Amino acid sequence: MTLTYVLMQNLRRNPLRMGLTVIAFALPMAVFVAAISFVVALARVGAHNEAQLRLGVHHKQTLTNPLPEALRRRIEGLDPDRARLAAVCGMRWFGGRVPETQNTLTSLAADVDTFHIVYSDTDMTPEEVVAWQRDRTACVVGRNPATTYGWKLGDRVTLESTVPPYLALEFHIVKVMDNAERANFFYFRRDYLDESRKAAGFDDPRCNIFWVKCRSAAALRSLQQDIDALFAHTPDETKSEDENAFAANFTQAAGDLPGLMQAMAVVVVVVVALVAGNTMMMSIRERTRELAVFKAIGFQSSRVFTIVLGESVLLAMIGSVIGVLPTAALLYAFPVRGLSFGPISGLEVSWVAVVGSMVISLAVGLLAGIWPAMRAMRLHTTDALRRVA
Amino acid sequence: MSSADIDVRNVHKIYHKDRIEIPVLMGLGLKIDAGQFVVLMGPSGSGKSTLLHLIGGLDAPTSGSVRVGEAQLETMSERQLTAWRSRHVGFIFQMYHLVPVLTAAQNIELPLLLFPMSSAERRQRVNTALDIVGLGDRSDHRPNQLSGGQEQRVAIARAIVTDPDVILADEPTGDLDATTSGEILDLLSLLNSDFGKTILMVTHDPRAASYGRRTVHLEKGVLQREEINANPRGAAAALAS
Repeated sequence: MTLTYVLMQNLRRNPLRMGLTVIAFALPMAVFVAAISFVVALARVGAHNEAQLRLGVHHKQTLTNPLPEALRRRIEGLDPDRARLAAVCGMRWFGGRVPETQNTLTSLAADVDTFHIVYSDTDMTPEEVVAWQRDRTACVVGRNPATTYGWKLGDRVTLESTVPPYLALEFHIVKVMDNAERANFFYFRRDYLDESRKAAGFDDPRCNIFWVKCRSAAALRSLQQDIDALFAHTPDETKSEDENAFAANFTQAAGDLPGLMQAMAVVVVVVVALVAGNTMMMSIRERTRELAVFKAIGFQSSRVFTIVLGESVLLAMIGSVIGVLPTAALLYAFPVRGLSFGPISGLEVSWVAVVGSMVISLAVGLLAGIWPAMRAMRLHTTDALRRVA
Repeated sequence: MSSADIDVRNVHKIYHKDRIEIPVLMGLGLKIDAGQFVVLMGPSGSGKSTLLHLIGGLDAPTSGSVRVGEAQLETMSERQLTAWRSRHVGFIFQMYHLVPVLTAAQNIELPLLLFPMSSAERRQRVNTALDIVGLGDRSDHRPNQLSGGQEQRVAIARAIVTDPDVILADEPTGDLDATTSGEILDLLSLLNSDFGKTILMVTHDPRAASYGRRTVHLEKGVLQREEINANPRGAAAALAS
């Protein structure tokens, strides 16, 4: 027999209470893992966007006010030597929907010559770039819609626009994007859209947004100021923002989700600590006499402290393992795909979240157990024994 | 088997509760030879349990000296007292205080976890203690599967498994019926007669007191009188007669 065995057996003293406390640990920790996985996914997207150094330029009032395509040349004219910007790609919202379905894809028409430069993270090979530039119906599709609708490379697909003039266009898939950050997107050529719109009587080649690929973070900041200054006090007054700030406009439309998730995680930890602390206090109160006997038979106060604290930590870790590992295993085996939540296209287990939750459980176990352990350590043996008699 | 004498000299013990002084022992002196079986009796509040606690190193006197064997207890720190207690003192309580989630054998093994000892040696000591108390066939039973008398036997086994010099028993039969009390007292008598343990037992029961060689009466924190029992009861005495 070891002291660890004694700790384990002590936890089984009241199976119902232990079970309820373990559940009280497990469920919040499972939610915690999912929430932090979401936050980590957001952070990953944010880091990716930051690394791409893209600056979005759109109408200052609203994204739905398209800007003349001629603005691209003026933006490029700010840096003729291309010391600060690598390329500019104009994009127009298509809002396409697969016929006879309800879901609107994040579908955008992009400038044929600069799309692969500004969106280098689509990882288009030279052959794919050639295919994109040769075929005016070419499209580049994210893996989520490809999986959902069973599309593959070379397929011809049709989308119906949800914005006027409600065109139905046929496309030819020249690439399926694998990276998570592009998983929900559908890109096609803007010249194809403009020609089709013109054929339908809508001759106004415009862009909802211009994406500027910058060469450095400093260049991004300076271009941001220069572009907005260039178009200030004009009918096409612009607002330039980096990709993370642009994406935040969409996630924050549903509230401050990262902040909400983080707040929820904090609440979870606090609640769990309170529950565990209460359980430990109840357990120690019931065992005052027993702990006094431990001291009487020769267990040092420090050892009694360790026993009580150890029980609290063990309880926390058991609850955490029961809550975290199945959630992590489930997310690992069956990652949530097809999410269209702002920049989040899917939810996979974040091992940062798993390790973090175990560390937090350890901390909660220590926190919850420290006061009962101190009380046990300071227990006056004779007083406790006298209470017995 | 080890044994020790006890020498209590001019011991005062005053408790402080809410700024009120509560004197419990008033200059008490008591000498117990090694291997004696002494009974402490007296009304509630006379200081019996307090004296037991002082001798067991669970508490410190306000003044005076307490020597058990070679240990001068009032000079020792709490840490030193705890370490000394684990080796030299076995406690037996009225309510047994066994750990309910451990078996009889595991309860007995608990004090041995404090010593650097192999599991084989621990097992051997536990089995010896179980044999002495006559519970060899109950080693895997939990306390809720034992009778009151059997639980107290387990508690006695726990008290003797470290081969202490002194056994301190605080009302060991207080929660038992007459027959079972007799069995427990016979066992204590055996530990004294066959193993030479110094035993100090607190009791209200005159029948239990008849097992001791000496009976010391306390009242209001002082020693009132002593009685010598030439023919103490017990299994050994019964065999001898």
